[in-house]
Amino acid sequence: MLRFALARLALIPVMLLGVSLLVFVVLRLGPGDPALDYLRLSQVPPTDAALADARAMLGLDRSFAVQYLDWLWRALHGDFGLSYATRRPVLPDLLGYLPATLELAGTALVVSLALSLPLGAWAAGHRGGWQDRLVRAVAVLGVSLPNFWVAFLLVVAFSVTLGWLPAMGRGTLAHLVMPALAIGLMSLSVNARLLRAGMLEAGSGRHVLYARLRGLSERAVTRRHVFRNALVPVVTATGMHVGELLGGALVVETIFSWPGVGRYAVSAIYDRDYPVIQCFTLVMTVVFVLCNLAVDLAYAWLDPRIRLGQDSA
Amino acid sequence: MSKLASLAVAALLACTVAPAKAQQLTYSWPTNVGPLNPHLYAPNQMFAQASVYEPLVRYRVDGTVEPWLATAWTISQDGRTYDFTLRAGVTFSDGAPFDAAAVKANFDAILANRARHDWLDLARQIDRVAVTGPLAVRLVLKAPHAPTLRELSLPRPFRFVSPAAMGEGGTTAAGLRAPIGTGPWRLVETQLGVSDTFAANPTYWGGKPGFARLVVKVIPDPNTRAIALQTGEIDLVYGAAGQIPSEAFLRLRGQAPAFSAAVSEPLATRVLALNSARFPTDDPAVRRAINRAIDKDTLVRTVLDGIEPRADFLFAPGVPDADVGLAPHGFDRAAADALLDGAGWVRGPDGVRAKGGRALGVELDFVGTNAQQKAIAEVIQADLARIGIAVRLVGEEESAILARQKDGRFGLIFGEIWGPPYDPASFLSAMRAPSHADYQAQRGLPDKPQIDATITAALAATDPAERRRLTATILTALHEAAVYLPISYAVAIEVHRPTVAGVGFGATLNEIPFAAMRPASTRAAR
Repeated sequence: MLRFALARLALIPVMLLGVSLLVFVVLRLGPGDPALDYLRLSQVPPTDAALADARAMLGLDRSFAVQYLDWLWRALHGDFGLSYATRRPVLPDLLGYLPATLELAGTALVVSLALSLPLGAWAAGHRGGWQDRLVRAVAVLGVSLPNFWVAFLLVVAFSVTLGWLPAMGRGTLAHLVMPALAIGLMSLSVNARLLRAGMLEAGSGRHVLYARLRGLSERAVTRRHVFRNALVPVVTATGMHVGELLGGALVVETIFSWPGVGRYAVSAIYDRDYPVIQCFTLVMTVVFVLCNLAVDLAYAWLDPRIRLGQDSA
Repeated sequence: MSKLASLAVAALLACTVAPAKAQQLTYSWPTNVGPLNPHLYAPNQMFAQASVYEPLVRYRVDGTVEPWLATAWTISQDGRTYDFTLRAGVTFSDGAPFDAAAVKANFDAILANRARHDWLDLARQIDRVAVTGPLAVRLVLKAPHAPTLRELSLPRPFRFVSPAAMGEGGTTAAGLRAPIGTGPWRLVETQLGVSDTFAANPTYWGGKPGFARLVVKVIPDPNTRAIALQTGEIDLVYGAAGQIPSEAFLRLRGQAPAFSAAVSEPLATRVLALNSARFPTDDPAVRRAINRAIDKDTLVRTVLDGIEPRADFLFAPGVPDADVGLAPHGFDRAAADALLDGAGWVRGPDGVRAKGGRALGVELDFVGTNAQQKAIAEVIQADLARIGIAVRLVGEEESAILARQKDGRFGLIFGEIWGPPYDPASFLSAMRAPSHADYQAQRGLPDKPQIDATITAALAATDPAERRRLTATILTALHEAAVYLPISYAVAIEVHRPTVAGVGFGATLNEIPFAAMRPASTRAAR
């Protein structure tokens, strides 16, 4: 398992190199001109002289190969350049914003798991009853409602009308509740349904029947033979939801004025802030690879039939 | 005992916190304000630059300028030499004196980076700046330039930072050591993505601001900004109409006295440029018909929620030299139809007119993410369909639209005139540059060379009456050529909580008069 993990980690640099080249090329293939965007942000009319000056300032007057090699060389030394829009070094700002986003996405993940598992189990335990139908209805709504809309509904209900929670900003636990819920609702709903389905399926398996015949208590059967088996698809889904949660954070951060990396990245995309987009993509690649690795390891722990890294031996 | 102590501490805290809160004005802006370099552009935000740094002269609502850091000036007969007397006793917030040497150091730093300011006529026109006394400076131009004083009043670049705070070798192009100005506010803290905090400048020559602190929270979303005002996270919304959604503005305005809301006088014009160099808007009859076919009153009432007044001309009547007594084109659908009939455009079976085998179709380009532009574009499309003009809507990113404005790839395109203090002189000046939508729109006019020559003459005119006459000639020619479709006069809005008093509009959109705002008396606040 350790060998497997190390092999995966060793792949990261290769992956980053490929991703960086790909992003570099794709960004420059698209229409538009970052120098024009810079002048737009400056509220300066784009005369030819102003454009030429802005291109030189942003280093866009050099050939593609020179731009990439220069960027790569500096990046290898930890310098990801200056943002076109903020004229500040990209990496320190990005790493400064990242904890707020990870805090938000992490809380959303915890909320989603903490609520979806009991809800799914509850629904499975009362198959066909009102409890089951309630959970399924909530799940359908949760999957269908866009997170930004949920966010506004929450703000209207809990900030504007009731005045219980702060409408924006970061600081206390109260600030976390609404954004985390808005982001986590989708993952929560999917997981609740998956666990319900998984538990019903596992509950009808032969191993469960044998466990009951062996005289194990109903609680022990549910916990060790039904619940644990039903968790495997939930773990897979959760791994995929990490991306969903981070993506959700990017959208919802703007609504809650949450000082995270999402707003930094979204405005960078809008403003064609190449250095920020490049660095953001690489940082996110690392985050994703690590999350997927964690999911794979959790998988092996849950399902003894999966022995990571042994097929190559 | 310890309980008692903590109670006492809490009471003490409550005492100190409450007045502190009352002494603080909380505003919001979509981004951080930037490093606040008075001589550079993005990411420096103009309203913040204008709060920390001051100009030699300040623009007034009536279009004139008033003495500010300069108390008096004389202009030579040939209009090329400006002699300024500086205000005595002004210091930068680091204690350094504001004097002729400081002014010269700032102009030198600005002109060392002249290419960056190429868009601004005055930056190209300045020949040299000389110290003529401890509090006297001389500005020498290459050629007379009528809007000199108004361009000196801009939020950037002609404002003054303490020479001690400049970068290496007295330059500012690569950054400052600290944002130190003479203005009413000092930037004291920036939290990335969260807020910027300003403190009142205790040594300000113009009197202490009403609030001790100004906190500018970072709120990118207009809906969130409206909610933040409602829930008390911010005290004030102020700025262009898009700061909060117009329906939120109307709702908050209806909730007096919980909120006070106001709309400014017209500050700019929402206008579409019609391309006179491209089929079919190269036909003057088509341009005039378009100008007569749009039901602007309905458009303004529905799409713009009636917040902005209808516009009939390129410049609002209050703009200096711009009220030249023209007759509006006026909404008259029958007249529009008659114009097209007279020009030989014949309706086909699908209702679209054609001439010589070519259909009367025009492309309207707008910023795709701008819901307001999209809605206006759709109304125009519907109105023009009724007189037999087929409009194809093209929604693109903002910078793609900018690129179209620059190289003339449009039929109809959204633009906005710049507003005070640029209007009308600086804006007219830009019409001569091919990189502007205005130039591109006018390029097909047979008298475009004369229009440009008249603009040049107006900019160089030192006699106000002559300048007014030339401006009237230009505006009349453009109005009759119908190369613009004015929609509405853009306004600024403000909404504030009852805890704030003294909120009024500045002469320009980018100068927010925070210093004049003050805490409302406690009684009124309740």
